[in-house]
Amino acid sequence: MQPVISVINFSKSFGKTTAVKNLTFDVEKGELFGLIGPDGAGKTTTIRTLVTLISPDSGEISVTGLNVSKSIRAIRSITGYMPQRFSLYPDLSVRQNLNFFANLFEVPKKEIAERRKRLFKFSNLEPFSERLAGQLSGGMKQKLALSCTLIHNPVVLFLDEPTTGVDPVSRSEFWEILRELKKEGVTILVSTPYMDEALLCDRIAIMHEGSVLAMGKPEKITGLMRNHIYKITGNDLVLRSDVFAQIPEIISVQSFGDSLHLTFPPGFSDEDVRIKIYGLIGQELNVERIAPSLEDVFIGLVEGKIGHAN
Amino acid sequence: MRQIFYLVQKEFRQIFRDFSMVRILFVVPLIQIFILGNAITTDVKNIKIVFQDQDKTPYSREFISRFVHSEYFKIIGFEENYNRLSSYLDSGKASLAIVIPRHFQRDIVLKDKPDIQLLVDGVDGNSAGVSLGYITDIVQKYQERLIESSPDLSLQVKNVRRVETEPRFWFNPNLESKLYIVPGIIALILLIITLFLTSMGIVREKEIGTLEQLMVTPIRSYQLVIGKIIPFSILGMLEIMISMGFVYLIFGIGVKGSLPLLLFESSLFIISTLGLGIFISTISDTQQQALFIAWFFMIFSILLSGFFIPIANMPPVIQHITRLNPLRYYIVILREIYLKGTSFKDLIPETLAMATFGLCLFFAAVMRFRKKLG
Ligand SMILES: Nc1ncnc2c1ncn2[C@@H]1O[C@H](COP(=O)(O)OP(=O)(O)OP(=O)(O)O)[C@@H](O)[C@H]1O
Ligand SMILES: [Mg+2]
Repeated sequence: MQPVISVINFSKSFGKTTAVKNLTFDVEKGELFGLIGPDGAGKTTTIRTLVTLISPDSGEISVTGLNVSKSIRAIRSITGYMPQRFSLYPDLSVRQNLNFFANLFEVPKKEIAERRKRLFKFSNLEPFSERLAGQLSGGMKQKLALSCTLIHNPVVLFLDEPTTGVDPVSRSEFWEILRELKKEGVTILVSTPYMDEALLCDRIAIMHEGSVLAMGKPEKITGLMRNHIYKITGNDLVLRSDVFAQIPEIISVQSFGDSLHLTFPPGFSDEDVRIKIYGLIGQELNVERIAPSLEDVFIGLVEGKIGHAN
Repeated sequence: MRQIFYLVQKEFRQIFRDFSMVRILFVVPLIQIFILGNAITTDVKNIKIVFQDQDKTPYSREFISRFVHSEYFKIIGFEENYNRLSSYLDSGKASLAIVIPRHFQRDIVLKDKPDIQLLVDGVDGNSAGVSLGYITDIVQKYQERLIESSPDLSLQVKNVRRVETEPRFWFNPNLESKLYIVPGIIALILLIITLFLTSMGIVREKEIGTLEQLMVTPIRSYQLVIGKIIPFSILGMLEIMISMGFVYLIFGIGVKGSLPLLLFESSLFIISTLGLGIFISTISDTQQQALFIAWFFMIFSILLSGFFIPIANMPPVIQHITRLNPLRYYIVILREIYLKGTSFKDLIPETLAMATFGLCLFFAAVMRFRKKLG
């Protein structure tokens, strides 16, 4: 079956900065696909190209089989786009914003009220329908923005960092809504800088500086990590990354609040690590091998240190 | 159609969401008309004059008495010594010295032209010019009186015509500058309100990101443009009515000519200000930038409109540039309709020029706007 979103060798530069370089990926119907990457990775550029707001420098890009440079209006009428920044009218009420976009998308008049009701059920915004959009909380704003992008029943949804700056409860509610939509068969492309959200996607592409470092199911990507990662906990005074960085075999040291993650090449056992640490600081610390997180993999990928099978 | 309707509805909702916009619509014209109408006046009152009457005849005294009865002049004294006259001007005791020559009466009676000498404090060129205008007016009236009492009419009529045409060209008949200024102020208000509202209104959508959200809907860019210009034109027309109301209430000046014609000409003018507003929105990313750029264009078009500086006083190159300025024509048109009741037929050249430049500006701006939207 033809993929809903197809991006082949897409590149885009702004002046001298290359925002996206040779990007290739597909999204199947009903899939929840994540573009994961830090600031400046090229997520927004990719999404804006897919929703026909900017034109690609090169590459074959299509949405539901329609070329993004040619079928601009057709694509716009079947997709929903939620930009990174809240961009509804702060001086119109929740209901007025919804109605406004419903009318611009030419939703049949008779259906508007019913659709609004359904979206209110999703978003729990019903009690706030007369409140000005500018006076909503961050989480409610995001839900309203999502509702406005859903008012015309799009078949493909593009969400650019929808939960950035939103409290954890609202974030999980928001992802709950996305899963519901997925069940209804909506294809969703979402970008996020949060690795924990990446785990909620069917498939992800890890982007960095305009290129994809890895793509696939989240479990498969964590499996890319061959190096061993050890979590050590103990006295704050000794948990200093610069000290551990002196171990000759060590690949990387990451500080995670009250613990450190030390990466060693494959084959390094718990016992080896304990001995190394004792040799370094003359103290026993709590050492525990952990499964690599996406974050570890990402850092490993960026630094070219995920290790290879011996 | 449906989409345009909802764009317009949205715009009005935003404009009238809070009371501040309504305040702007009423307070701006009220203040402008009241303050500017009274302050930017080219009337000069109480011009201090010192006289030197070398003739001392009934004719010369009659001439001087005309200044006594004028509210524009204040005679501060008479000076016998010609050489001392300039010290009055230098010290600022007087801004005008008038010397009536020795054979004033004889020359008039013998139908010779008497030479009245004026010494003017030229520091404030504008006031000096205005004083000269008043004096010319008084001299002229004085001459008219003489002719009435003169038996030899045919000879005098030629003389009078020569004097009459020149000063009248520059000053309105009863030397009341308010009358002349007020229609100009209405034009400025309309320029300011429509230019600023349009440019800020569009840039605001850019700034808060809604323009991008609008662009991913299937509406076409021309619908977007129409959705913006309808509400702002309506506001502009509303504003001009409000302004005319205030002008009537404050100065008692009503429209002499046809109101529909005035509104028609105003709508042609608004096309150019909306066009400029749209253009400004395409070159600015923030409301602050838009504000500065709109300010810049506003100052330019006001300075080059002939409102403050008569176009005839500008260097020739600049005079040609003013021909591109729709405000220049609109002020003239408004003044003509307002004060003289001029008919459309006599305004066709100005109307054509204004509409041509306005439409060019408008279409260029819209093209640029659409290209920017991509
Ligand atoms: N309109 C533009 N003009 C110039 N440079 C741009 C423009 N848009 C993006 N860039 C540059 O392209 C690169 C990729 O930007 P992009 O916004 O796609 O990243 P992102 O992954 O969305 O990052 P973020 O998490 O900050 O949103 C960045 O270096 C950015 O500075
Ligand atoms: Mg981004």
